Amino acid sequence: MKKIIEVKNLTKEYKGLKAVNDLSFEVYSGEILGLLGPNGSGKSTTINCLLSLLKFQTGSIQIFGMNMSPTAYEIKKQIGVVFQEVAVFQELTVVQNIDYFCGLYVRDEKIRSKYVEEAIQLVGLDDFKKFYPKQLSGGLLRRLNIACGIAHKPKLIFLDEPTVAVDPQSRNHILDGIKQLRKEGATIIYTTHYMEEVEILCDRVIILDKGKIIASGTIEELKQLAKIEEKVSVEIEQLGAEKLEEMKGFKNVDDVKYVDGILVITYQKGKNNLIHFIDYLKKENLQYNKIYSERPTLNDVFLELTGKELRD
Amino acid sequence: MTVFKAYLKVLNKNKALVILYTAILICFAGFNMKTNDIGSFRVEKPKVLIVNQDENYGITASLIQYITKNSTIVKIKENDSSQNDALFYRDVSYIIYLPKNFRNDFLSGKSPKIEVKSTGDYNASLASMMLERYLKVASTYLKIEKNEVSMIKMIDETLDHQVDIEMTSKLDSDHLMKVANFYNFANYSLLAGCVFVICFVIASFKDEKIQQRTMVSSLNMKKYNQQLLFANGLFAFTLWILYVLLSFLLVGNSMFDFHGLLFMMNSFVFMVVALTFALLIGSVVRNKEAIGGIVNVVALGSSFLCGAFVPMEWLPDFVLKIAHVLPSYYYISNNNFISKLEPFGSLNPMIFNIVVLLLFGVIFIIITNIVSKRK
Repeated sequence: MKKIIEVKNLTKEYKGLKAVNDLSFEVYSGEILGLLGPNGSGKSTTINCLLSLLKFQTGSIQIFGMNMSPTAYEIKKQIGVVFQEVAVFQELTVVQNIDYFCGLYVRDEKIRSKYVEEAIQLVGLDDFKKFYPKQLSGGLLRRLNIACGIAHKPKLIFLDEPTVAVDPQSRNHILDGIKQLRKEGATIIYTTHYMEEVEILCDRVIILDKGKIIASGTIEELKQLAKIEEKVSVEIEQLGAEKLEEMKGFKNVDDVKYVDGILVITYQKGKNNLIHFIDYLKKENLQYNKIYSERPTLNDVFLELTGKELRD
Repeated sequence: MTVFKAYLKVLNKNKALVILYTAILICFAGFNMKTNDIGSFRVEKPKVLIVNQDENYGITASLIQYITKNSTIVKIKENDSSQNDALFYRDVSYIIYLPKNFRNDFLSGKSPKIEVKSTGDYNASLASMMLERYLKVASTYLKIEKNEVSMIKMIDETLDHQVDIEMTSKLDSDHLMKVANFYNFANYSLLAGCVFVICFVIASFKDEKIQQRTMVSSLNMKKYNQQLLFANGLFAFTLWILYVLLSFLLVGNSMFDFHGLLFMMNSFVFMVVALTFALLIGSVVRNKEAIGGIVNVVALGSSFLCGAFVPMEWLPDFVLKIAHVLPSYYYISNNNFISKLEPFGSLNPMIFNIVVLLLFGVIFIIITNIVSKRK
């Protein structure tokens, strides 16, 4: 696959503190790359370096095979950025805002007008074209923010937490829009705090912590990094401490937790763990309601690798 | 021209500010047109009451006749409270009490004491001067002419003597003063309008996130800044044109001569300084709430300190000394200078002030560049 971004040994320091530490990675054409990490892990610094908004000490960044710099207008022409915070003019209507930001890339008014219309449709703002930003809800504002960033049909898009604090309807619209952009051939770098979005959208994920890549790969590859293989959850109204201790001694069990009437047993590798556990419950005559088994989620992997929840 | 067009759209949303400052200027100027008559002269007749306790005959009658001729005689009841009320309400400015035997005492060379009551204003002073003048002339002729009839004739001839005065100045000073006042008021509107609107629009364009979005775009930042500067300049120029047109509308003829050209030139230079100042404030302040406060302090403060609303002559020396550090002082000084400028008079003081104004502009540009680079 064609490399769109190639980052080599990128290091960015703030007063002696390494926000990004010797980072190297590639992004390939047409993929959606999830950039994950707890707060302060270096995600935003990395993106700002990629966009030449920040100078860095060492390393190199190539985008579309060319060196990225503040004056690399040929590269910038093909990049779209959706910042986490809404960045639009309060004095301009929805359509005027999109037209303005699209106009920073596309001069031809006819082409621009077509692009603006398509961006409005992509994010579902047809009914709000003449509205001013202050007249829009939070979700609609986010959609406008996205439309302003992608209207010029960029080949490479940076989406920095585009679904923060939006209603479910707007979130679905945004996620559908992102899928549509990928279908149209865009390469996307996506940062989010919502693990389920990563699982739905991303082809590949890079997990950053303290300015370094601690894991990368497809979601399946990352899940294999987890030392647990199965997680069994059971609703049990009452459970004594001696039973919990007994369960910890079961074959393949990694950990046992009982919180608010929910018993969670995590297993390392092994077969028929669930069957053996149900047999135990029957034998001990323990009354239970729902019981379910699941594979470790990306969140479990993240937790194992960083020691933090993604939303921490 | 994407940025330029967007600027105009953002500006359009702030047009209320332009209308507000223009309306303020029209109100000030309109009031000035109605009330100001600084350069012309007209004969004033004070309101006088004469209470004569002597016989209306001879020198007494002559004095009364002279006062009557040169003032407006009012009739008020002859009691103290009515007369005091009339003075209080300015129904009369000066009351003259001619005592009994005034004529005899005067002719016999005594100096009869004439009681007066006065409001103390300039009308009263005028009446007082009239009375004094008559008595001085009469006393002079009394020394050389003992015949009362002949003496009165000589007094009348002397007092009736008129001297024609021709003003050597060809200036229509009344009109020029009005134009100067208009342009002095424009100091506030031009400064406030430029700073308020330009800072508001810049605050939108230089919003941190919008600025980031612009920086990651493929638009050359040099071109972006050039378009913004051009748009700001065009706005300031349009505002200046609007105010010049207003001056033509409000003061008309006086603008169609050399003085009018100088007023326009001076205000143009001031517009350039106001623009550079607005760009400086715009580069420092991004908070829209703070801009309003700064505009009030700067525009109102400099207008009061430099004599935009009141004549410079009325301001205390220490205020004028402080005003020297403000561009408005040099602009307003020039307006006042132009209003008194004789044809073929030297323009050196005006040129000096214009050079100082331009220096202010250069300083503001240098500071703006330093601040922008640091940011």
